[in-house]
Amino acid sequence: MDGVSVNFTVNGREVTATVDPRTLLVHFLREHLKLTGTHIGCDTSQCGACTVHLDGKPAKSCALLAVQLEGAEVTTIEGIAGPDGMHPMQAAFKEHHGLQCGFCTPGMVMMGIDIANRHEAPDEATIRSELEGNLCRCTGYHNIVASIAAGASASRRREASG
Amino acid sequence: MYVGQAIRRREDERFLRGRGRFVEDITLDQPIAHAAFVRSPHAHAAVTRVDTAQAAAMPGVLAVLTGADWTAAGHGEAEGVWPVKDMSGAESRTAYRPLICVDGVIRCVGEIVAMVVAEDRHQALDAAEAVEVTYEEKPANTVTARALDPDTPLVHPGFGTNEVMVTEHGLKAETEAALANAHHVTEVVVPTNRVTAASMEPRAYLGHYDRVNDRYTVWTTNQAPHIVRRYFTKSLHIPEHKLRVIAPDVGGGFGMKLYHYPEEGLVLWGAIVCDRPVRWVGTRSECLLGDTHARDHYTVGRMGFDENGKILGVKFETLAAFGAYESQWQASITNAYHFTMLSCAYDIPAIHTTVRAVYTNATPVDAYRGAGRPEAVYQVERMIENGAQEMGIDPLELRARNLIPPEKFPYQTALGISYDSGDPPALMEKTKALADYDALRDEQAKLRAEGQWMGIGISAFFDMAGAGPVKMMNDLGAKVGCYDVASVRVHPDGRITVFAGSHSHGQGHETTWSQIAADRLGCDIDHIDLVEGDTDRVPMGIGTWGSRSLSTAGMAVYTAADRVVAKAKRLAAHMMECAPEDLDLADGEFTVKGTDRKLSFAAVANASYHSGDRPPDLEIGLEETSFFDPADCTYPSAIHLCVVMVDPETCAVTLRNYWAVDDVGTVINPMVLHGQVHGGLVQGIGQALMEECAYDAESGQYLSGTFMDYAIPHAEDVPSFGLDAHFTRALGNPLGAKGAGESGTIGAPACICNGVTDALWHLGVRQITQPMTPRKIWRAIEDAKRASH
Repeated sequence: MDGVSVNFTVNGREVTATVDPRTLLVHFLREHLKLTGTHIGCDTSQCGACTVHLDGKPAKSCALLAVQLEGAEVTTIEGIAGPDGMHPMQAAFKEHHGLQCGFCTPGMVMMGIDIANRHEAPDEATIRSELEGNLCRCTGYHNIVASIAAGASASRRREASG
Repeated sequence: MYVGQAIRRREDERFLRGRGRFVEDITLDQPIAHAAFVRSPHAHAAVTRVDTAQAAAMPGVLAVLTGADWTAAGHGEAEGVWPVKDMSGAESRTAYRPLICVDGVIRCVGEIVAMVVAEDRHQALDAAEAVEVTYEEKPANTVTARALDPDTPLVHPGFGTNEVMVTEHGLKAETEAALANAHHVTEVVVPTNRVTAASMEPRAYLGHYDRVNDRYTVWTTNQAPHIVRRYFTKSLHIPEHKLRVIAPDVGGGFGMKLYHYPEEGLVLWGAIVCDRPVRWVGTRSECLLGDTHARDHYTVGRMGFDENGKILGVKFETLAAFGAYESQWQASITNAYHFTMLSCAYDIPAIHTTVRAVYTNATPVDAYRGAGRPEAVYQVERMIENGAQEMGIDPLELRARNLIPPEKFPYQTALGISYDSGDPPALMEKTKALADYDALRDEQAKLRAEGQWMGIGISAFFDMAGAGPVKMMNDLGAKVGCYDVASVRVHPDGRITVFAGSHSHGQGHETTWSQIAADRLGCDIDHIDLVEGDTDRVPMGIGTWGSRSLSTAGMAVYTAADRVVAKAKRLAAHMMECAPEDLDLADGEFTVKGTDRKLSFAAVANASYHSGDRPPDLEIGLEETSFFDPADCTYPSAIHLCVVMVDPETCAVTLRNYWAVDDVGTVINPMVLHGQVHGGLVQGIGQALMEECAYDAESGQYLSGTFMDYAIPHAEDVPSFGLDAHFTRALGNPLGAKGAGESGTIGAPACICNGVTDALWHLGVRQITQPMTPRKIWRAIEDAKRASH
């Protein structure tokens, strides 16, 4: 293998590594950085379990090569909680039973945060439509939709008070 | 009291923070090698040559293993946990799914021909591509309905037929007579589509062999680790005490992760051969192909009614797909869970069913959430719906006339099963009110006049859940004892660890089992931890499947906790110089009744381990284990009602409303209960509208290998749900709990199909095969138009 050097930021920390050029971002996060919260559920970018934030926008880390990330800022599920506890979106998923097995959950939370970032007060139809890239097999989505609506509301309150 | 409260889940935070620990996340001291599999691209073929030389020489490759190596090593097969039993006493034609092709014949796409073990994933995949296999293709059949046709190729020619076995149940003569004397007979041909669980976490296994200590460990995406351990004694001949099976966090199972799969055995074999830990993580394509498939019945049914719409008798003839091999728990469907549920929620005097199980060149079929009951309910409910429509009786009214009245419980069905408790008419009243049924019918008439196609679907059913008792399940064919186990260990500081033989892969046992234990032990829920999924830590277990864990493992927690309390009371009474009967336990303290004398539970726990001052016949320590064998199965029931809109332009179905009213007996945590119902509903909706494991009928090639081709519902495809409940206590366990895991998948396909049929009845449509895609609906409408001309 001829390695390729890449430098980028993950959860606020600089990362420098030499990787096999065919290494996917999701494998780099999981295997090199041991950030195993980002999951692989489908290999073909339908399920969204691998969703991370790339320069502040959601991206499927199974559809990116690590070497494409030069200079980028990546945030994973491990990087969103604050020192005082979980992110409001994480807390909303717990409060509203938005997860069962927990496998799709990191991707759902990362997508939920993005929905909250882009919509003032997302209604049910908006949330369902926005989740077109995320699959869940346990919850039937009912409580995920409720969680994201509540998480968006709580995030706004936090911004307003912060 | 914690039981009955919507306690937020104690397991959530680790998943929400990305700290879940799934099989793919496990790290070990030694570097982990990777396995990749060479799979047959053909549905039926002879393997004439396997050349591994080039692959074996590739960089990083540790081993390339084939069926010949497996045979040379003397390894076995994944024997049946619930093997088929022919009711006639004739030998059933069993051929278990091989772990790797050992006889040179491929019988379905995806069968494993060779395994490559290499240092990393890419090396393993590269080398797997370099394994040269020559196949001689043979004609294949993947269509269940064709399996017994005279010109259909035989999957196992040695048997001389594709028929695995025949089962018959119920009252044959009475049913024939009822149909002969009926005022009206409805006949429907109802194929149940082949689907698969598609858990979001792909199957994954990690095998490790500690040669020095002669100990084996397998980390597995499995719902029943002790059962896996049992079947390693058959595949790799490893004694149970030498093998530790760990099922850590598992990302959904739905029955599909219950089996000792080929890759699970092969990965540990690879670890033994290479003297290295070996892991395989399935790709989604490998999983959609190799995970067990489900349903795939082809049924012809006839139902007879009297002039008032009362059902007199019903007869079913079913071809049930096994796929290419008999999967481990297959006969839990064929011999237990399908035929028993054919009375649904109805008082039907005569029922007769014949099931012919058949081999096809397709992936083996096994239990998936509902396992036989979705098929049964679909088969019954489709006939009731068509019967009501044909007789011009309101479909809800016709059902109401046939529901089992509460005074008939315990209700003995025509199939010999006794439902312990329930009140279907009360469920129907609640459903009717929740949905505002009469208003819906008015709206339907108004919309139809405007050219809009609205349909109302209903299904009403019972579920057989909570397996055991051991004896009953043995009689139905189970080779494993259907009890479950829990140990309650009180530590010297009074804090508690509960060990349970169930396995939570989304169900929330860390919360619900702790709710039960905390109430029994009179302690704070935060003083309890739960351990599951590790055969070295949990004494024994039968695992989580068939909506059984609450009424078996949950009851074992309850029973073991009560035994702990009884023992602790004896010691506390000794310490407080009173009688054990004089003591109450609440809020972590023993109190002498009618006094203010108190002693903390923690002080008693400490004394139980560290004080010599105890009753002479009281053993040291405070830990109890219960092997709980329930007195009966449980029989949850439910009624579902939905509204569908079919677009006259595109023929697309929109599921506008969905209501479900459940009787699950005692509820431990209503939040968790609703989550279970929601999830099941959407899987059932998927079966009705979108999902199908499709094969090319000519080549036997599998067509549903990615989530682009196998359509599981997205958030936008389903509505929010309206749920209600009406509870009657289960009589077979002291908790009164019935189980709640499968209601959604059992009732939804029938409910939605009835709704679509109702929407299109006026166009002459009588039956649409699931999944009801726009193309199939358009075709059904066109066929109806042609038939009427």
